[in-house]
Order: sequence, then C-alpha cells, then structure tokens
Amino acid sequence: MTTNDSLPLGSAASPAGFDRRKALKTIAAGAAAAVAMPYVRPASAAPTTLRALMWEVYAIPEVIKAFEDKHNVKFSPTFFDGNSEAYNKLRVGGTRDFDLVQADGFWPGLYYREKLIRAIDYAKIPNTAKVFPVFKPDRFKLLTDEATGTHFGVTWCWGSYGTTYNTAMMPKDKVQSIECLFDPAFSGRLATSARFEENIALAGILVATRMGTKDKPRPDGKPFNPYVLTDEELAGVEKLLIEQKKLLLTRYNDNNTLQQLLESGAIAAAPEFAQSYRVLLAKKAKGEIDADFAHQLIPKEGGLGWVDTWLVTSGVADGPTLTLCEQFMDMMLSPDIMKQQALIGGASTTIDIRSIATPEEQKLYLMDRTEELSDMYMFDQPSSTEKWERVWSRMQAA
Amino acid sequence: MRSRLAPWLTLGVPTVFLIALFVLPLLSMLVLSVWRTENYHIVQDWNLRNYWVLATDGAYATFLLRSIAMATAVSVICTAIAWPVAYGITLYGGRYKLLLTLGFAVPFLTGEVLRVIALQGLLGPVGLVNGVLMSLGAAPLRAIMYTNVASAIGLVYLYLPIVVTVIYLSLLNFDQRLLDAAKIFGASPARAFFEIAWPLNLFGTLIGFALCFIPCLSATLAPRFLGGPNGTLYGMAMAQQFGESGTWALGAAMGVVLFVLSIAAVFVAFRTVDLRRTGFTGFGRS
Repeated sequence: MTTNDSLPLGSAASPAGFDRRKALKTIAAGAAAAVAMPYVRPASAAPTTLRALMWEVYAIPEVIKAFEDKHNVKFSPTFFDGNSEAYNKLRVGGTRDFDLVQADGFWPGLYYREKLIRAIDYAKIPNTAKVFPVFKPDRFKLLTDEATGTHFGVTWCWGSYGTTYNTAMMPKDKVQSIECLFDPAFSGRLATSARFEENIALAGILVATRMGTKDKPRPDGKPFNPYVLTDEELAGVEKLLIEQKKLLLTRYNDNNTLQQLLESGAIAAAPEFAQSYRVLLAKKAKGEIDADFAHQLIPKEGGLGWVDTWLVTSGVADGPTLTLCEQFMDMMLSPDIMKQQALIGGASTTIDIRSIATPEEQKLYLMDRTEELSDMYMFDQPSSTEKWERVWSRMQAA
Repeated sequence: MRSRLAPWLTLGVPTVFLIALFVLPLLSMLVLSVWRTENYHIVQDWNLRNYWVLATDGAYATFLLRSIAMATAVSVICTAIAWPVAYGITLYGGRYKLLLTLGFAVPFLTGEVLRVIALQGLLGPVGLVNGVLMSLGAAPLRAIMYTNVASAIGLVYLYLPIVVTVIYLSLLNFDQRLLDAAKIFGASPARAFFEIAWPLNLFGTLIGFALCFIPCLSATLAPRFLGGPNGTLYGMAMAQQFGESGTWALGAAMGVVLFVLSIAAVFVAFRTVDLRRTGFTGFGRS
C-alpha cells in the first residue's frame, strides 16, 4: 500500500496545483464537449455531411460520388427495407440523425402530420417542373398538405404491383383480371410476394368487386380504397387468401427468387413491381432465356401503385443544410441522373426522360403509360394493422 | 486480496452482462406485452388483451404446435445423426478427432442467412437437386420445394453441427474401458451401448437436444425462405409482428409465451431425468 492510498480521493495535489479531481473534471468536460459538438454546431455553418435514410437500390455509387465531389460533402446513407422500419427510426430521434428520408404511398403524409418531415419549396428544386403531368401537385395529392397547400416531398420513381407472366403458360385474357391469381387451373404454378399489405389489398379489390361494394357509397364517404376495407370485405379477403394458399408454390421474399421461379418455368405468373420482368426481358434480349414474359400493369378490377419520394426531415432547419438537401434532390431529379437510376435500379421515373431514352427504354420503363397511375390505388396504411395482421395470421395458419 | 476479488470479478461481470443484455430486455418485453399497439403506435394501456388474443385465436396456437412438432422432429433427427457421427469420431478418429469435429464447425464461418439462401438454391426449382433430376428427364421433387420438409432439412443443416459437437464433448469424457468391461462380462455390443454408453452420456445428449430444440422453436429464416405457404412457424409469425405489421405488443406477448414454454420444457426434461445417473458431474463429488 502506498502513501497516496491513505489520502482522501482528490487530495493528491501536484506541485503545479493540478490534482486528480481537476484532471477528472477536465476529462469529463472534454468528453461532454466532444459528445455535444455535433448538436451545438452553429446552424449557419456549412454542412460537411448529408445523411439519408433510404432504399439501398437507389444508392448508385457514381451518382453519390458526383454529388460529393460537386458540393464537397460526404453523403452518408442508411438503408431500410420497409416504410415501417424507417418510420420507427424517425420516431425514436431519427429526425436529428437524418437530413433526408425516402418513403412511398401514404407514409409522407403520415410523417408530415407527425412533424417528422418539413415543408419544402419546389421553386428551390427546379427539376420538379420536369415531372410527367400525372405527378404534378395539382394531380398527385399525396405530397401536399390538404389544409395548407404546403408541399413536403418530391416524387422520384414509380411503379405498380402488376402481374408478370409467362406468355406460354398464362393466356393474356386471363391475366387481365386479378382472378388469374386465384384460379385453380394454375394450381402450384402461382406465387405472390410475402408482403402482407399488398396481398390483402389486392385480394380486397377482387372481393369488393365480387361483392359489388367497390363502386357503392363507402362507410367513410370516400371513394373505394383497398387499404380501408369493411369487416365483411376483410372476412371475404381472409376466405379468398386461404383458398389461394393451396394454389401457391411459395411467397417470394426477394426479386432474385421470383426471377428464378419465372425463369425455370416453376410458376406461370406472380404479382410484382416489374423489376423481375425487366431483368427477364434483358436476358431474353441477350438470348440467355427462351421463354417470353409480359407484364400486366393494371388488372381490369383495378391495381395497386406506388410512388417513391424524397423528403426532408424536420431536424433540418432553414439554412445551408436545407439548401444542400434541395441541391441533392434537384440533382437526383435531373433527367441524366434519372435515366441512370432507371437503367441501374430498374424503376420507372417520375421525370419525363423520353427525349433521352430509346424507344425500347420508353416501352420497358413504361414512359408512355404514366397516365395509368391515376387509375391505380396508391399504397396506403391499412385502416387497422391489428385487424389485417389477424387476417394474415389466420390465412397462414389455415 | 486477489482471492477475495476473483469471485466478484468472475461471477460479477457475467451477472452484470446477463442483467443488462438479458434480464432488462426480457422485462421490457414483458411490459410491452401488456400494452397495445394501434396503427404503428404503442399505447401504454395496461391490459392482458394480447394474451387473450393468443389464447383464443387459433392461428397462434397452430403456429406454436407446428413449431413444437418441427423442433421435436428436427431435434430427434439431429440427435439420431449426431450420435453415430460423434461416436465414430471418438472411436476411430485417432489423431484427427479434433480436426473432424472442427470440420462440423466450418459452416459457422458463414452467416446463417447465407447458409439458408445457399440451401434455398440447392432445394429450389432450379437448384442442384432438381436441376440434376430434370436433366436426367425425371420430374422435380416438389416435396423439397417450399415445404415443411424443406424447412426441416434446413433446420437439421443449421443445428446438426451443434448437436454433434456437444455429444462428442460428452463422449470425450466417457471412459471407453467401461464398454470393454461390459463386453468381457458377456454383454453384446448393443447391450453395452444401451446400458452403459447411452445412459452415461444422456446428460450431454439432452444438452445437445435442448440446444437444437429451443432455437428451432423460434426459427425464422429457414421457414421463411424454405417453408412455402404452409410453412409459417411461431418464430416467423413473431418476427412478422415486429416487422411490417408493427403489432409489437402482440409480438412481445408471443415472445413471453415462447420464453415461458422453453423454460418449462427444460424444467420438465431435467425433472424427469435423474441427473446423477446421466454422466452429469456438475454436483461435485461431495
């Protein structure tokens, strides 16, 4: 035991008057300052990093590098799989951790109502003027606050939940109806995605059509929305999905699996976002596969559609970071980048890039079919996730 | 000084670790299970509704029964395969015993997701098995494409190395001379095995069985990627609650039920087995 051990804590004063307590205080103050530094940085200071919560498929390294080089900032993406995951991240403090966030369907509106994202000015993002007419704010209402008319997001890529099918195995007249996905004639040769919302919503359109409730006045006084189903319709959906289960080979979890299922002839048709369809067409063009595939964008009963968007989180104050966000969104919406995005990411763009696309690309990326989006039901929040979960679980257990 | 500190350090650190990373999360799950969720929002409304749903809606009981059946089948298969393998290594492994045992750990060098996806490629419609069959002009084996059989194959593949290792470690401490003695006194090899080797390694076998059974009860990946439309197991349904459906409170209640059942299963197993007669040496010599 040394002499110092017998002294009270902090009494080991050095000749220079710098004792242990002071040293601890200094270290603690330093640590606190270091931890707090990112939060006490003056709002007017130029940002060095732009942080985005986004889908991985849209993070194209060449595009990100070009942005970083031009603005001398680091782009820091964090990826998520589903909207609910991003929503949870934002709700537990993510508005401080991210500057930009992506979402589709009803989620931007929900984020705005819950003050997770902020208003943006389209005048600061000139490329927003280049969107197809169907995505202009006067027609596409999901990014505008109904009460104030404030805009809170920009459109990015779009698609449907249409049906990709092998033309030799599924007649064209059959695939024009959602009924083909429930037809016993194709037993064992069908697949659907593992996403519970879209399975229920698509079945909901068919059930409401069969019940004749789709075009009748709805309990909420609004037009039919497959994400807002009555209890009777939900019971019908449950019955229909249980019947369908016997016909399915599987519920695919990823595009690669779906592509293999279609390519091998194991299945005749499956609803999807057209990404596998585009890969299969590219393979066909290269002579790698013999089978012919087609994609039914909207069934006659009605189909589901989605528009991915870019949003700015409420953690971004007016100033340089907001300007940087606007510059990022403007660059991402520029026709050249959008074309790159379409070719690499396999998604249709909301910006009109027909002038720089080949006729084949225009056909493949549905550039002349954007108007059909207005006939689709947008991805939305289930009226009761609890009720929908029960329907899905009962179907899985049946 | 060292002798007084040693127990605190060696037991205290793991205790803190267990409390922070096991007990506290478990308590938070218990609390969450008696709240409720409403359209992606947690409502702190104390009630037992989630447990009522689990008890009255047959779907969740079906998932649980399917999982128990699957976990039992997979654990029995793993044990049945692991015993001769581990016994063979012990008897005939010679100086390669350790190498052979480590060989079973090789799959663990890759992630579980990768292993399941690799298996999906093997068993799927364009996988190796069906690819060979189809190239030979035979029909593809639909029984291994997105079925519970495929899930079981995947789970056996995932957990067999653990069971082999545990039984091998048990056999390593088993005195083989006891078998020789039995044979000298006239016991047949089968009788010597069932009356000496098996009971004296029962504890190790039970540990191996439990280390396979419990994770199989909550398996998510194998049924999701291999199981097909009828392959939803309890763990997969539970993961769904924390994923896209956002019904976290119900998922937490499912987790609590699974935890209680797992503990009960282990408790019952060890109550029905006399540990002193199974090669268990944990009671000490006193």
